[in-house]
Amino acid sequence: MNRLTQPAATRRAVLKAGVAAGGGLLAAATLPAAARAAEDHPPIGTWPAGSEGDSVFIGISVPRTGTYAIQGEDELKGYLLAIEHINAGDPLIRAISPKTKQGVLGKKVTYGVADSEAKPNTAVEAQSRFISQNKAVLMTGSTSSAVAVALNKLAEREKVLYVAGISGSNDTTGKDCVRYGFRQCFYGQTAAAALAPKLVQEMGKNRKAAYLTPDYTYGHTVQKSMEEYLGKSGWTTVTNQVAPLGARDYSSYLLNVANSGAEVLLNINWGHDCVLSIQQAKQFGILDKQKLVVPYQVPFISKEVGPEVMQGVLAATDFWWTLQDKYPLAKMFVESFEKKYGYKPEWGANNGYMEFALWADAVERAGTFYPPAVIKSYEEGKKTQSTVGEVYFRAADHQLVRPVILVRGKKPSDMKAPDDYWEVIDIVPGEGVMQAPDAFGCKLGSYT
Amino acid sequence: MRQTPLWLIVALTAAGLVAARFVLPHLGFAPDTVNHILIWGLLGIGFDLLFGYTGLLSFGQAAFYGTGGFVTAYLLTRNIMVSVIGALFVGMLAAAVVGALVGVVALRRTGIYFAMITVAIAEMFFFLENSPLSAYTGGENGLPGVPSPSFELGPLIWHVGTGWSMYWFLAACYFIGIVIALRIVRSPVGAILTAIRDNPERALAVGHGVWRYKLAAFVIAAAYAGIAGGLLGVLQGYMPPEAFTFDTSGQLVMQTVIGGGATLFGPLLGATVWLYLRDFLQQGLGLGTTWKLVLGLVFVLLVCFLRRGLIGGLRDLVAMTRRRKPHEEAAEESAPIVADPPVLASIAHRHRDEPAFSGPVLEARGLTKRYGGLFANRDIDFAVADGELRGIIGPNGAGKSTFFKMLTCEVHPTAGQILFHGRDITGMGVAQVCQLGLTKSYQVNQLFTRQTVWQNVMIAALAERRGPFRLDLLRRIDRVPGLETQVEQTLALVGLSARAQVPVSDLAYGEKRRLEIALALAASPSLLLLDEPLAGMSPRERAETVQLLKNIRRGRTMIVVDHDMDAIFELAERITVLHEGRLLAEGTPAEIQRNSFVQDAYLGGVAAAE
Amino acid sequence: MITWPNFVSQLVNGLAAGTLLALISAGLTIIYGTLGVLNLAHGAMFMLGGYAGFVAFQATGSFALAVLAGSLFMLVAGAVIELVVIRRFYSRPPEDQILVTFGIGIVLVEVVRFIFGSLTATVPPPAWAAGITSLGFMIYPTYRLVVLGIAAVALAVLYVVLYRTRIGLIVRAGIEDSGMVGLLGINVYRVFMLVFGIGAMAAGFAGIINAPVVSLTPNVGDSILVQTFVVVVIGGVGSFPGAILGGIIAGEILSLTSMVNPAYSDVMLFAVMTLVLFLRPQGLLGLAGRA
Repeated sequence: MNRLTQPAATRRAVLKAGVAAGGGLLAAATLPAAARAAEDHPPIGTWPAGSEGDSVFIGISVPRTGTYAIQGEDELKGYLLAIEHINAGDPLIRAISPKTKQGVLGKKVTYGVADSEAKPNTAVEAQSRFISQNKAVLMTGSTSSAVAVALNKLAEREKVLYVAGISGSNDTTGKDCVRYGFRQCFYGQTAAAALAPKLVQEMGKNRKAAYLTPDYTYGHTVQKSMEEYLGKSGWTTVTNQVAPLGARDYSSYLLNVANSGAEVLLNINWGHDCVLSIQQAKQFGILDKQKLVVPYQVPFISKEVGPEVMQGVLAATDFWWTLQDKYPLAKMFVESFEKKYGYKPEWGANNGYMEFALWADAVERAGTFYPPAVIKSYEEGKKTQSTVGEVYFRAADHQLVRPVILVRGKKPSDMKAPDDYWEVIDIVPGEGVMQAPDAFGCKLGSYT
Repeated sequence: MRQTPLWLIVALTAAGLVAARFVLPHLGFAPDTVNHILIWGLLGIGFDLLFGYTGLLSFGQAAFYGTGGFVTAYLLTRNIMVSVIGALFVGMLAAAVVGALVGVVALRRTGIYFAMITVAIAEMFFFLENSPLSAYTGGENGLPGVPSPSFELGPLIWHVGTGWSMYWFLAACYFIGIVIALRIVRSPVGAILTAIRDNPERALAVGHGVWRYKLAAFVIAAAYAGIAGGLLGVLQGYMPPEAFTFDTSGQLVMQTVIGGGATLFGPLLGATVWLYLRDFLQQGLGLGTTWKLVLGLVFVLLVCFLRRGLIGGLRDLVAMTRRRKPHEEAAEESAPIVADPPVLASIAHRHRDEPAFSGPVLEARGLTKRYGGLFANRDIDFAVADGELRGIIGPNGAGKSTFFKMLTCEVHPTAGQILFHGRDITGMGVAQVCQLGLTKSYQVNQLFTRQTVWQNVMIAALAERRGPFRLDLLRRIDRVPGLETQVEQTLALVGLSARAQVPVSDLAYGEKRRLEIALALAASPSLLLLDEPLAGMSPRERAETVQLLKNIRRGRTMIVVDHDMDAIFELAERITVLHEGRLLAEGTPAEIQRNSFVQDAYLGGVAAAE
Repeated sequence: MITWPNFVSQLVNGLAAGTLLALISAGLTIIYGTLGVLNLAHGAMFMLGGYAGFVAFQATGSFALAVLAGSLFMLVAGAVIELVVIRRFYSRPPEDQILVTFGIGIVLVEVVRFIFGSLTATVPPPAWAAGITSLGFMIYPTYRLVVLGIAAVALAVLYVVLYRTRIGLIVRAGIEDSGMVGLLGINVYRVFMLVFGIGAMAAGFAGIINAPVVSLTPNVGDSILVQTFVVVVIGGVGSFPGAILGGIIAGEILSLTSMVNPAYSDVMLFAVMTLVLFLRPQGLLGLAGRA
């Protein structure tokens, strides 16, 4: 291929993609650092083609239609805010990535968005297009582990970095981990490890639990993790109701739960499935007799289900906006987000923002877009400030070590603001609850 | 209707695939998009054979796409097989086997039932893949790590990479797929499949094993889907679970309709339009989630106004501009029917060599048909001698048509027995008795309406030449021995030789009636039943047809039902009269005319009217 | 979990789910029986009815009015779709009809998504039907019992319309012999328009009364469509009693299988359909020789 034509092609493709990042930006001044690094290595992935111009491209694939559409849109808002902040050199970004001035290594960040429909195939197709056509230097976006795992594999093959979006499966940084993939949010096993002691503390030992489990890997792994941790305190599983993804009517599952004699209902469903199953459980009067637990909180669930149903419900989450009282960066994030979008961010948006901010930091510290160098910069394990305090990436599995936020649904009468659904009851440090990097069979691939 | 030579299409396809590599990048196509288009196109070839050519609308192709894909991916990722090509082949076979099993269920019904059943079965496959079989399929995570193939050509090793490197591999696969499909379409089987699409009842009546051909088309489509599924895994290095979803089947249907059915290339074009618009609407126009709405509207409009899709529309446009040219109206007339045409001897029925059977050609004993409490026919004994021309008459409601349908095995009797050449054919299928040498021409024309006169007769002759079922998928249709002669002679006999290349829809009514008889004749029956061959004809057409019947009766036995008394009395040697479902009288025309029962029941009224 | 109380509970639940399925399938089967058109947009119409009810509820705050307005809207929407699109397709092959209704279904779903977004729309049950009813051997959401009742009444009304009125006579004549309707000297097209409207209304009505149970998304009708197919294949395409029987059978299969292993509920449904196809290809109450 003719190297000379590529920057032009990239720009044209960018224009075609109809993307624009806010704010004017002059990048020429800081070009040399990356350019110099380019001399030393053979081309790999989209490098150096993707970073030769004065802008770099990020491919974003989130579901905008289908079951996870709301979570996808929320995540997207976080990404877009981060891009805006990066290009403008916002103080929040500079607090997370101190070397950032404007853009990344002085290059303006542009992006393309594709509807993944929450399908791995569509996501892979879209990202492949971003790679070949736009020379994307980074891929992101997922609301389910199926997509995250598929993009992990694509990243490995194409040698282009991928930072997962929402992905709660143990496998994403476990058995399906890759050298080129990174995850910011915690996952099923961590949620279980952090939440289980709290459940035992609040509800006592030797309880009878019923599970509502979505029939896919994420659901099964979280269910197994919860069962294992709670089993240590004598909890027994009286029934595990496995429902297909996107089920419309949970009545038969809920009847089984109602007739099981359980004391606690752990609902592992995600997205719209979780909303629906809780609403229907309420209708069946199950929530009057059984305590509801949502091991991994779903963005917007309280808004959709209503606080009267969610009061007293225990959940683990990545982020809740009232953390702003504790962490100054969280306060900055919540304020910027609310100013731009008019509501309080949920954890999907926070996750999206942090993914980009941490990437910007890794690239800035590497001083180049050369992927192996960026990966090594991630793997240094440098402690970084974030919206939930200090965090760092583990070199062995590319998982961010970060705290797990435990929340409890507020009574409607205790809510101080319309968005004040959850009370943060505990912040569990990540080190204690994250399993060893090799526990789920992670073997990272090669750098090149 | 000249056919473009096969070699030319093949050459153009090859050139197009090579050219696409260099042209498409300039039109803004990413290699990955083009590769996906090829896979949709390959999947679509099979679907087009099934839907466009055979007329079977399946919403369940995802089941085979997924099956082929996951079998291939499983074999490769678990290191059960090393050869990618081998695994693709096994995946294709697996899909074909599954296709055969599903086909046996789904093809029990036709039309909308068939469509609904395919939807439901495909959904079942999705549920099976997603949960009970997730240990093998990876559940919703799919199977990552599918390798790409390598080829050793002497000292050269080509390891297929991603992007345009993968394109060459997929383009080669598509090329092989399309060449095979082109051969199939131009084989006798291809001709029979289109006949089944246009008129399944008649295809059966001329002696084709329609159900088995449908199953064959279904299995072939499943095989194409299987290999396409396997290639999807190879392309992405990852086998996605949503290959199994209803969306996949639906999108395939839409792409095929957009591109144009019964073209083989339609699905490829449809996929190109679909994927291009999807990306363009999302990114080019920034429509975000509205892209699907726009594509949905495009699809509905196409179905409403351009049902034959883009390729079909283009063809119609070309045909329209050609038709404007004046010399088109050099219309040729069908030949008049003359007595004792020279071709007659050679088209006598093929059963003349059979060991002599001395009894009646057709015999019915105690034939009874009851619908609920009503008897359409009751206890009829009937026999026709070899070489006889028998007329059947009776007033309206006499049970003639039910009786006739029982003789051709279209309707099975409630009681009684039918013997053909002494052989019991009671309860046999229409195609089976046609293969034995008994067929009929219909009262209402049953033609293959979208084809030419020549093709119509050829379809009937194929059944006689090849038997009820044969899978000579790759044989050229003009290599079927004796076929051409037989079609030509049949056409000459009915005086349609000059009209051979005219589409049926352009024929005059009288010509269609003659073609209707030609279809029955082309099967070379030893016993020919004619259901009201003179219905609705002008005096001239009637005279010609009577002459035609006289011509074709040589060497075969015939039974004619008609309301035209004059013609029956002129033609028939013996006449059977039915009345109120029973046999009223039987005898020579003179005897019947004298019979007082017949006069009372029937002829009296006619005589009075004359 | 097979215990006696659970079995009885699931039996009741299967009946409730089945009655609703029966109502939706009845709409599909009436349309097919009369017009000869397989409506692949039927799931979308179920969804559209729900959203129509949602809008009416937002405007009036009354559940009864929402049901009424939503049903009327679906009647009109169905009639308009028949008038503008379906009418062009009577003389075309059945495959074309399937294709165009498939396309209409996609357009309806995406139009709703365009207007309402993907967030769930919720219609609360009427206050008098909220809460739980104890049946002695089990407790059950009151509103679901109400849905069971309403769907049963709606089926009864449809029965009366089909078997006791002039229009019903025409519709049934059409089901028996589509050629005959024309001979009766009736404006066939007006009848067809009305029937398509009624069929759409049956689906839409089910969508509204079911909205408080499931909460609405643009994709809520997707799984319904496939289930109604199974229902009519089991019951017999074009047979009104067949739709009811098939609906209840399907509901019970889904409910009862879940006691053993919920993952197999849907698979079981398809397995039963396949069995019916082998033993009685025209469906349990279908007429041999049709379709």
